[in-house]
Amino acid sequence: MLSCDTYLSPGSLDDALAAVAASDGRFRFVAGATDLLPWAREGRAGDVHVPLLVDISGIPDLRTIEPRDGRIWIGAATPFQRFLDHPELIRLMPGMPDCAVWFADNQIRESATIGGNLVNASPSGDGIPPLLTANATIELAALRDGAIRRRRVSLVDFIKGPGQTEAEHDEILLGVECDTLEGYGGAFEKVGHRRSLVIAVVCLSAVVRLDPSGTRFEDVRVAIGGVGPVARRMTDVEQRLIGQPITAELLRACLVGCEQFVMSRTRQEYRKLVAPGFVARGLANAIERAGGSPDACGIAKEIANG
Amino acid sequence: MAELKIETTVNGRRIARRVDPSQRVLDFLRDDLHLTGTKEGCGAGECGTCSVFVDGVLVKSCLLPVAKVAGKTIDTIEGLAVSGEMSAVQKAFHKAGASQCGYCIPGMVMAATAALRLNPDADREEIKERLGGNICRCTGYQKIFDAVEMARDFLNGKLSATAFDELDAEDGKYIGVNVRRIDAPSKVTGALRYAGDMVLPNMLHVQVLRSPHPHARIVSIDVTDAEGLPGVEGIVTSVDVPGQDGFGVFVSDQPVMARDKVRYVGEPVVAIAAESLAQARRAIAKVRVEYEMLPAVFDPDEAMKEGAPIVHDYAPDNIVKHIPIRKGDIEAGFAQADLIVEQTYETQQVEHAYLETEAGLAYVDHDGVVTVHSPSQNITHHRHMLARILNLPINKVRMIMSPVGGGFGGKEDMIYQGMLALLTMKTRRPVRLVFTREESIATTAKRHPSRTSYKMGLTKDGRILASQVRIVYDGGAYGMSTEGVIRKGAILGGGPYNIPNIQIDTYGVYTNNTPSGAFRSFGSLQSQFATESHLDICAERLGIDPFELRLTNAMRKGDATHTKQPLKSSAMSDVLEAARTASRWEHGAPNIRGATRSDLAGEGTRPSCTLSPRAVAETPAPKLQHEKGAA
Ligand SMILES: Cc1cc2nc3c(=O)[nH]c(=O)nc-3n(C[C@H](O)[C@H](O)[C@H](O)COP(=O)(O)OP(=O)(O)OC[C@H]3O[C@@H](n4cnc5c(N)ncnc54)[C@H](O)[C@@H]3O)c2cc1C
Repeated sequence: MLSCDTYLSPGSLDDALAAVAASDGRFRFVAGATDLLPWAREGRAGDVHVPLLVDISGIPDLRTIEPRDGRIWIGAATPFQRFLDHPELIRLMPGMPDCAVWFADNQIRESATIGGNLVNASPSGDGIPPLLTANATIELAALRDGAIRRRRVSLVDFIKGPGQTEAEHDEILLGVECDTLEGYGGAFEKVGHRRSLVIAVVCLSAVVRLDPSGTRFEDVRVAIGGVGPVARRMTDVEQRLIGQPITAELLRACLVGCEQFVMSRTRQEYRKLVAPGFVARGLANAIERAGGSPDACGIAKEIANG
Repeated sequence: MAELKIETTVNGRRIARRVDPSQRVLDFLRDDLHLTGTKEGCGAGECGTCSVFVDGVLVKSCLLPVAKVAGKTIDTIEGLAVSGEMSAVQKAFHKAGASQCGYCIPGMVMAATAALRLNPDADREEIKERLGGNICRCTGYQKIFDAVEMARDFLNGKLSATAFDELDAEDGKYIGVNVRRIDAPSKVTGALRYAGDMVLPNMLHVQVLRSPHPHARIVSIDVTDAEGLPGVEGIVTSVDVPGQDGFGVFVSDQPVMARDKVRYVGEPVVAIAAESLAQARRAIAKVRVEYEMLPAVFDPDEAMKEGAPIVHDYAPDNIVKHIPIRKGDIEAGFAQADLIVEQTYETQQVEHAYLETEAGLAYVDHDGVVTVHSPSQNITHHRHMLARILNLPINKVRMIMSPVGGGFGGKEDMIYQGMLALLTMKTRRPVRLVFTREESIATTAKRHPSRTSYKMGLTKDGRILASQVRIVYDGGAYGMSTEGVIRKGAILGGGPYNIPNIQIDTYGVYTNNTPSGAFRSFGSLQSQFATESHLDICAERLGIDPFELRLTNAMRKGDATHTKQPLKSSAMSDVLEAARTASRWEHGAPNIRGATRSDLAGEGTRPSCTLSPRAVAETPAPKLQHEKGAA
């Protein structure tokens, strides 16, 4: 059980940081609480008493979704369900809707936030691969010498290991700034023990942009999670594909060596089978959604079906 | 603790309260507002028994800090039946028979309501997707999906309200007629109170300290620090047992709480009753137990070996029970056989996973009758055991069976009722214990793991001449239902086949694993898995169709079983024939078929299960239609 003496729901960043500054350091930020509450149970952390809980989900900037400098700002407190029903997000973040569909269930998705997913930094956090393919930049804020210090870190540098991030204990993750990927086709592949409410054994995000004829890759971004301590972009695969016409030989060639991404200690064999399969399927689905020509779609599908 | 002031609207009623900021919305609803239709099944967002609407959006209230609903609107299962009339979804659940134990049903009804509000035209696949966060253990889901479709069609005007009516039982006949379940309304409305939903004035909350070791001697138990904590009203250990401290179905080998030594991880050692759950948990953390490790044994075959660690002194060979059955002469049978097949089969521990965790409420009434409410599947037996344990005449012990939120045999063995009785006798106040999901999974009885060695001799044309079957069941640390389980295993061990020469030995063995207990199919699942797998292998080796092989050997009317039970009837052959026809079975030995089989797919075949998301991601979920119709 998680217990606290005080639960604050500040309405501004200033108030949140002030509350934290006034505490003795024994506090915890809360967003959707979907990681925090299950963590404080038997078998994990057990009963945990945190004197102060600071709920950051009501801070306006953390709830904002808006264009910024040619990119898109997504506040940290955005719940995953918004990637399924917010028109701007659907248009500009084609890698996310499928991820959201696979994420937990429709109820948890209303609570679980992207900020929580990133700070939790689980090796199989589903939100991480698609944000990697969107070249996400993290923005953090903390009180330093009486003033708010804001800093930006790329997502690649932000997550350092399982449960470990760049964020200092009193730093609030404000949100992520992402590439707008309008016109890209996006796909998310995930496998676990069942359809809903499942931790990914492997998850993969693929987004592609094709030339107007729908036969050539203009841009390809692929990231894989669940197979090592941190999710990673599969740059080798991307480099082989960018600028190339979609052919069976090319797709087959790009699958070679995909299993090298599998660093997990458990279920290695299985994951090594899944990794190339997911690259193939992710690309096929992304090509189709990017407006691939019937030929290109057919080729990609055939490769994906083995 | 700074109290938090909360204003919310719950089921249309404005509520202002001071609450404990550590509470979850689930606690607020259940403990403060007594809205116990919202259940706790896992406390970790996995099961959906706690689903409620917050500002019209369905969420899991076990993962929602109470502060998050300040200024918001909550709707619970109790709010659906406006002015007493059930909603269309509730009526449909009633009509479709979509409730069994009922524990998951309030959450299911909420999820179904949400699904139809979001998309009034949702098809079955979308309904499945939208109910993906809610787990049911009894129904197999089909009736639940039927109910949601029925409610959808009614709300869309495609079904009339009479569709929910009870069909008139023809000529007073009930068998073969679709009868509405009389207990369903209480379940679909959340009105039914399970043990964990019940409260009594001045009730104390119980928590249990459990063994972290599989096998250890208890050197000392020090409760001094726990006793002094605020709110602590009573602490019991095995020394508080006034009578004969031992329970079990066949052997009374299990103390109410560990006595002298612990035999499995999770065995109760100390139980504490306190004014609040949090106080009880804090007190448990303050108890100090000193253990001296003992060598432990985790494999039943190892446990039967000379020199293995002894789990119970009364059974130095670690054998709970051995059931031998002999018929004919197996060696003679094997000598005549054209084919002898030997193979070993293993099955593993299985958790019952009922949605309602173990829970109980106990009090001593005005006549001094120790009364225990619990979802016990065997109250009379529990009552007798408890009278002996408490050293009370039987008329001073009363067991009341609360609604069972799923049992599957798992609530048949007595597990925690003794601790509750001791604590209520000691404190003279009502006490309640509700297991957490983790506690339920880690510490209560499981299905017996088994290892079966099979040897079968057959003629070329598939007649079984002899079977030798040895099944070793891991009984875990205590006897519980083990003897009954392995007896069933022996009785059914050869399968429903007429075998002239048979030798069966089943063993129930003590180990330091979690105790094994009753679980539906009771010992025969293990032996049937072995027998039927074995027959498939034999069919392959003989080149005989597996149906034919079974029909050749099936017991028929007039046959006697290997336990000499004469059969006045036998449906075995009829059942096999019916299954063969219904499955459009393609005749042939398992290994002679080509790459394609004619009996796969076709009419009546369920499509295989896929893991892909069913809702199309690109289509934004339709905007919420608040309060549409009576959904
Ligand atoms: C039943 C269930 C199913 C799940 N399924 C999935 C799944 O399919 N895929 C998946 O990836 N995850 C899943 N999860 C895990 C969880 O829902 C996600 O990781 C979620 O994104 C966490 O977000 P949250 O807002 O609930 O985080 P919280 O629990 O509120 O916080 C998590 C951690 O992050 C910190 N934190 C949160 N926000 C901030 C911030 N803005 N600044 C600084 N620190 C912050 C908190 O202090 C805490 O340490 C599941 C969880 C449950 C209970």
